[in-house]
Amino acid sequence: MALGGRADGWAKVQGRAVYAGDVRLPGMLYGAVVRSPHPHARILRVRSEAARGVPGVRAVLTGADVRYGTYGRRVRDMPVLAREVVRFAGERVAAVAAESLPAARRAAALVEVEYEPLPAVLDPQGALEPGAPRVHQAAWRYPGAVVGPEDPPNLQSRRVWQHGEDVEEALRRCAYVFEETYQIPPAHQGYLEPHACVAWAKPDGTVEVWASNKSPHRLRAQLAACLGVPAERIRVMPVYVGGDFGGKGSPMDVPVAVALSEATGRPVKLVVEYEEDLTAANPRHGSVVRVRLGVDGEGRMRALDVRAWVNGGAYAAFKPVEHVNLNGFAEAGNTYRIPAVRIESLIAYTHTVPRGHMRSPGSLEANFAVESTVDVAARALGLDPLEFRLRNLLRTGDRGTLGEPWMEVRGEEVLRALAEVLAQGGGAGGTPRVEEGGWACGVGVALYCRAAHAGETEVGLQPRPDGSVVVWVPFPDQGAGQHTVVRNVVCKQLGLPPGAVEVRQADTDQLAVDSGVGGSRVSLTASAAASRACQELQRRVEQEGLGGLRVQEALAELARRRPGEGVRGRFSGEELWLNSVCAQAARVRVDRGTGQVRVEEVITVLDVAEILHPPSHRAQVEGGVVMGLGSALMEELVVEAGRVVSSNLHEYRLPSVLDVPALRLVLVPGGKGWGPHGVKPVGEMANVAVAAAVANAVADAVGVRVRRLPISAEEVYRLLRAREARP
Amino acid sequence: MSEASVELWVNGERVRAPVWGTEFLAEFLRERLGLVGTKVGCGVGVCGLCTVWMDGKLVSSCLVPAVVAAGRHVWTVEGLVALAEGRVADPPPGLPSGRLVRAVQQALVECEGLQCGICTPGQLWAACALLQEEPNPPEDQVREFLAGNLCRCTGYQGILRAVRAAAREGRCVGG
Repeated sequence: MALGGRADGWAKVQGRAVYAGDVRLPGMLYGAVVRSPHPHARILRVRSEAARGVPGVRAVLTGADVRYGTYGRRVRDMPVLAREVVRFAGERVAAVAAESLPAARRAAALVEVEYEPLPAVLDPQGALEPGAPRVHQAAWRYPGAVVGPEDPPNLQSRRVWQHGEDVEEALRRCAYVFEETYQIPPAHQGYLEPHACVAWAKPDGTVEVWASNKSPHRLRAQLAACLGVPAERIRVMPVYVGGDFGGKGSPMDVPVAVALSEATGRPVKLVVEYEEDLTAANPRHGSVVRVRLGVDGEGRMRALDVRAWVNGGAYAAFKPVEHVNLNGFAEAGNTYRIPAVRIESLIAYTHTVPRGHMRSPGSLEANFAVESTVDVAARALGLDPLEFRLRNLLRTGDRGTLGEPWMEVRGEEVLRALAEVLAQGGGAGGTPRVEEGGWACGVGVALYCRAAHAGETEVGLQPRPDGSVVVWVPFPDQGAGQHTVVRNVVCKQLGLPPGAVEVRQADTDQLAVDSGVGGSRVSLTASAAASRACQELQRRVEQEGLGGLRVQEALAELARRRPGEGVRGRFSGEELWLNSVCAQAARVRVDRGTGQVRVEEVITVLDVAEILHPPSHRAQVEGGVVMGLGSALMEELVVEAGRVVSSNLHEYRLPSVLDVPALRLVLVPGGKGWGPHGVKPVGEMANVAVAAAVANAVADAVGVRVRRLPISAEEVYRLLRAREARP
Repeated sequence: MSEASVELWVNGERVRAPVWGTEFLAEFLRERLGLVGTKVGCGVGVCGLCTVWMDGKLVSSCLVPAVVAAGRHVWTVEGLVALAEGRVADPPPGLPSGRLVRAVQQALVECEGLQCGICTPGQLWAACALLQEEPNPPEDQVREFLAGNLCRCTGYQGILRAVRAAAREGRCVGG
């Protein structure tokens, strides 16, 4: 069946798709925020007279004016507006609502805040040392905290994963131990829509919210906890989200917009400037990752110890997961058979911008460190890096590195497919070193394996008298194509053409549950719920004795007999033991004179099962590779003296079309998918291993090991010169 | 900091609205006129989300003070849609043809030339302006022309496929 273009395609090419910042309500005011210039300071005084004097200003609020609690996705430690102290440069200190945006910004600039700067701690290792300045006086008291009074005062989260033999013992027995340390800088998710919301605290005590947020039901619960009202009083309305990549899952500015709305009795729109989003939202953590890999005399991996020190910033509020950690670290080494594994991730509070999730959180960090170390080991042992990986691969039937009973592991199929592609143009083992001028060529590979998870969601189906169906979903399409996937499931299962199925986002009153978009789980979860809704609808058709009619006639008749009625399908997650494997190779050229690295091609080989909408599946991979290249080569959110100094997109450079090399994609079909449609997740696969593949290619080309992202010409130059200087 | 008023032509219609001296065209179009199809990203002329057509040229409307647009002809994505739907009686010279706009829209949808959609109105302008000027551009020229419009979702592959498809006014094909 032809499954058509994206469900949201025409709305978007006609500029009709409505995002939070596009919402305009009668009587709406505009908000603006005053932020701290200091990483850590006491607030001595706030003077707002001048701000109040700006024509059109309707409210100026400080922390003392807001009676709400703190907020967060899991740990509720973030104040709506700072009270007494500020804990990072960029923290909200005051907020203004005015009749126009220029008036609001003008007034915000006139709010005078007097501070007493305090000593700040900026890096995670320093923060965990005894006597370090405290970011919070008693972090364990915050609702949802995962630390206790016995922990170091600046600990935000500590997580240990271990399996098999004692890792120290196993390392002692190894013929070779490779110890390496890698640095992964903070980065911004790079969504192009800055955070935006409209909040309306109505006179009847209910609150309506439009927000650039991918998890409306979770947002409602988080807001209810912050405002201290029952969730039923909050209604989160449907809007499109202009890019997410992990960064659009928190309440962010919504509580302050609600406070401004409550103070003025009018709806308030709050759209931050991109500069504020870059410097004061919830970027990727910066990490230092130490790896110790033990290998025996036969070139087999016997032990892996990974320890990460992670900068969590001033608040834990933006991490949604149970342990408030970065679960991607658990994937360290998971593509290999390693009998002793220990992984520890320590996240510390610091006086810097609070950190959140970015597409495959923790995965890129773990992968860059481990897959670089694997290459270091292979080259030191005189083994071909691809061959070394093949020798150590985890295979179907093996337990995972942490004991996971995987349904299957397709590392071998994927890596052999990559080897085949490379062999056609010179494999990693027999790199063609065509050198002209000072340029050297190299190829590097890296491997990634990601577990799939299912969430919880509900999908509604409503037949219409014209024989078409409205599909109600509780989550937005933030670009990944989940509305299209749901449409295609319904088309397939009911036997309808795409034109007869319209996907609409419900508000939080219309459907009951949803865990939101994230963790690459939405296609799995929503396709399962949609499938159940379809079964229910088919049952309804049978009950009404309409089974003999053609589908659209039956649906039309059903709609006529029971006007406005629909059915629902719900699905709640279960442990899947499903994973997907991705192998990537980068071909690079490196200028020995300047250190410049040019990526010529990225080859991505991906383990797939059933694909519900091939064009958006492919786009997820292509977009992922380019995001991976951004992390590998370009992107670093520069923090100096505690302040983010990458002030806008001219300094924080995202890949443009000119930065994109040739991309080759090879799908390895035949994987065992999950659910009624047998699918595997894709959203967070192709962005992860690119950095390690590029670093390994640079090592292949010029023999230097880059241990710090992004892989800059300056760093490669420094390494090349340092090597020359060695006797 | 006082309010004045400004008069200009937007999508072929004369409009007059109050404006602050510090207000930019993007904000003016969105908040004063309600033409929210034009998006705002970086606000400093890097990302291309706010691309509009002004007197024959594409501009970043976040960089053009609204008062500078006084007396000028501005076209937004809403105007492009009107062109595509044949609702513009007498389009000024230099605007892409309605037929071209439809072809590019169709190609963007079919070739997955969009995902979250926030950059799409800007990409649509860039692609239409390029193909209006050069109906069958070589790959290098396409990349050069689109370099001012960032996209975080697609890795640009779908957009490049769409431009190629629209240039042929044909269907989207892989590769």
